[in-house]
Amino acid sequence: MTSNEPEPHQHLVLVVEDDQDLREIVSDVLGARGYRTDCAVNGEDALEKLANDHKPCVILLDLMMPVMDGWTFRQRQLEDPKLRDIPVIVLTAHASATQVGEELAASAFLAKPVSLKSLLSMIQRVCAAEGAPAS
Amino acid sequence: MSDDDQNRPAAYADAELADSASLCADVLRNVANRWRARLVAGRLGDRPPDETDRLVRSLEEAAALVEGSHDGQRISLPTSSETEERFRRLVDSVRDYAIFMLDPEGRVLSWNTGAERIHGHRAEEIIGSPLARFYPEEDAKAGKPERELAVAATEGRYDSEGWRLRKDGSRFWATVVITSQRDDAGHLRGYAGVLRDITAQRQAAEVLRQSEERFRLMVEAVQDYAIFMMSPEGRVSTWNIGAERIKGYRADEILGRHFSIFYTEADRARRHPEEELAKAKRVGRYAEEGWRVRKDGTLFWASVVITALRDSKGRLIGFAKVTRDLTERRRQDELRDTLRARDEFLSVASHELRTPVSALQLQLESLCEVVHDPAPERSVDLGARLDRAVHSASRLARLVEALLDVSRIATGQFELDLAPLDMREVVSQAIDHLRAEAARAGCDIRLDLPAQPALGRWDRVRVEQMVFNIVTNAMKFGRGKPIEVSVVPSGERMTIAIRDHGIGIAAEDRERIFDRFERAVTSRHYGGLGLGLYITKQIAAAHGGSVGATSAGEGTVFSIDLPRTRDDHAAIEGGRDDVERA
Repeated sequence: MTSNEPEPHQHLVLVVEDDQDLREIVSDVLGARGYRTDCAVNGEDALEKLANDHKPCVILLDLMMPVMDGWTFRQRQLEDPKLRDIPVIVLTAHASATQVGEELAASAFLAKPVSLKSLLSMIQRVCAAEGAPAS
Repeated sequence: MSDDDQNRPAAYADAELADSASLCADVLRNVANRWRARLVAGRLGDRPPDETDRLVRSLEEAAALVEGSHDGQRISLPTSSETEERFRRLVDSVRDYAIFMLDPEGRVLSWNTGAERIHGHRAEEIIGSPLARFYPEEDAKAGKPERELAVAATEGRYDSEGWRLRKDGSRFWATVVITSQRDDAGHLRGYAGVLRDITAQRQAAEVLRQSEERFRLMVEAVQDYAIFMMSPEGRVSTWNIGAERIKGYRADEILGRHFSIFYTEADRARRHPEEELAKAKRVGRYAEEGWRVRKDGTLFWASVVITALRDSKGRLIGFAKVTRDLTERRRQDELRDTLRARDEFLSVASHELRTPVSALQLQLESLCEVVHDPAPERSVDLGARLDRAVHSASRLARLVEALLDVSRIATGQFELDLAPLDMREVVSQAIDHLRAEAARAGCDIRLDLPAQPALGRWDRVRVEQMVFNIVTNAMKFGRGKPIEVSVVPSGERMTIAIRDHGIGIAAEDRERIFDRFERAVTSRHYGGLGLGLYITKQIAAAHGGSVGATSAGEGTVFSIDLPRTRDDHAAIEGGRDDVERA
């Protein structure tokens, strides 16, 4: 592990993604970097996790999900003063990812298919901006 | 009676009036005699005999009165107001007619005020002139005036219409009646002529005729519209160039034929042409778009308007029909729709492939990392990761297969491979394949199968595919909730029912969800390709069955209903049609 990577143990990432394979591998690769991950299968599930568990340093948010989609989740999150400030990285298969990212006032966006490198650097950047100590 | 009325006839009692009066008397008597003859012969048409008799008597009376004014003596008007009115009208109308007498050689003997007004000659200028003077030069040279007099002399009367000359040389169009005058011994005494200038009427009629002619020519020349008239029974009575061009018949081939010849056999069988006429007759107009048949038997897509034509009394006199050939526009619309559907499909497909490709890419990249940098703290279960990569790849393969199915359905290449099967076995095997995934979604699948074999002829792979599509859908929308799958034979049919306890489907969406790319929930909510239910519907249809959804309370029940025996090797019908309409 190189010296400019964040101190990962401090960092909890909430992965909100309905696709099980993607959820699991994202959780795996982040875990291998020392992040802790919490997983939710849709927006509703994510709101429950946020109500009960620790506040994550970043939410990795898919948009097209059954039951409650990413747009609705983001709206609910912004309405809740306790959750509003948690940065969100939108993970989208949408053709115009930039536009969607702007619409949702997200901290950043990642367009699917996503590479390991861009996923890790984005999470590291956003978490570091949150004032997390770099090692 | 006012003084004015009493004095008025006296004002006519001069020499000129004497001539006019004599002539009027002749005219009156002529008319009276003609009607008397018809009265006697009973040829009155609609006229009541009593009234005709009164009219004839009045005319005779008027003739006698007018004659009585020859020497200029004051005419005493009849006490009968009816007779008085007729007489006055007659005198008035004389101003509109040139009334003149000719001697046996055709020279002018008398000339009334109407004649002065119409011809422009004063009486003293024209008395003694030959009749030919009023004819255009070419007619006069051709001997027309003499011929007309000769006819009048032999027949007693000559009616004509034609050009006449005014004093100033200008022409006017006149109707003329010349009658011969004979004494008691039958010798020709001369002729009486009554002429009327109808130039204005003729011009109006000519303008109307020209306008109608221009309109007719315009309609005939229109190429892009078939415009024609039909009798009230629907027989073609006019035909334009556009009709010939669009429908392929020449006028001589189609005039008189019934317009149902332009319709397809199916339309004729259901009496659609007759219905169109009935509707046009009822509400004045009927419009539609539909297939029509050309002379060569080919079809064209037509926009049709039929308008009922009625006379001033409201009686139906026929129909006007305007037809446009919209085949090309329809073809372009269909092409555009097909392209739009294809673009939409490509967009949805690429969108849906991105998530599993993401998973696979991350799985492979992380495997590479482990292989290239096998640091001890990263030692992970390589076997498990490889298994998951393989799983993702097979999901991608299934997705690609579904896309190919849609393509096959669209091009009519989708075929079934029917074989005798026990549905219990097919469904339980399909469910077995799904158990692991169902467990991951927290869904418990409960299977309810009949005790007896549920036999029939189906395509095993396709039936499994239908079950797979609906059950994975149920897992997606009803995570953590049980799913009940049952097989219910009933007579010649077999039903597979799949009940979930998910979010349910609104009644208005239950048909729509089976359309291509359609989802009951907004596209944002949906994780799948939106093709699963569409493909399921097509597979069921290919088996001669159907698939439907009902929601009662929480969750949804999907029912796949299939016939048990179907021997033909079925292909999905209407697949191509679906694309064209999509």
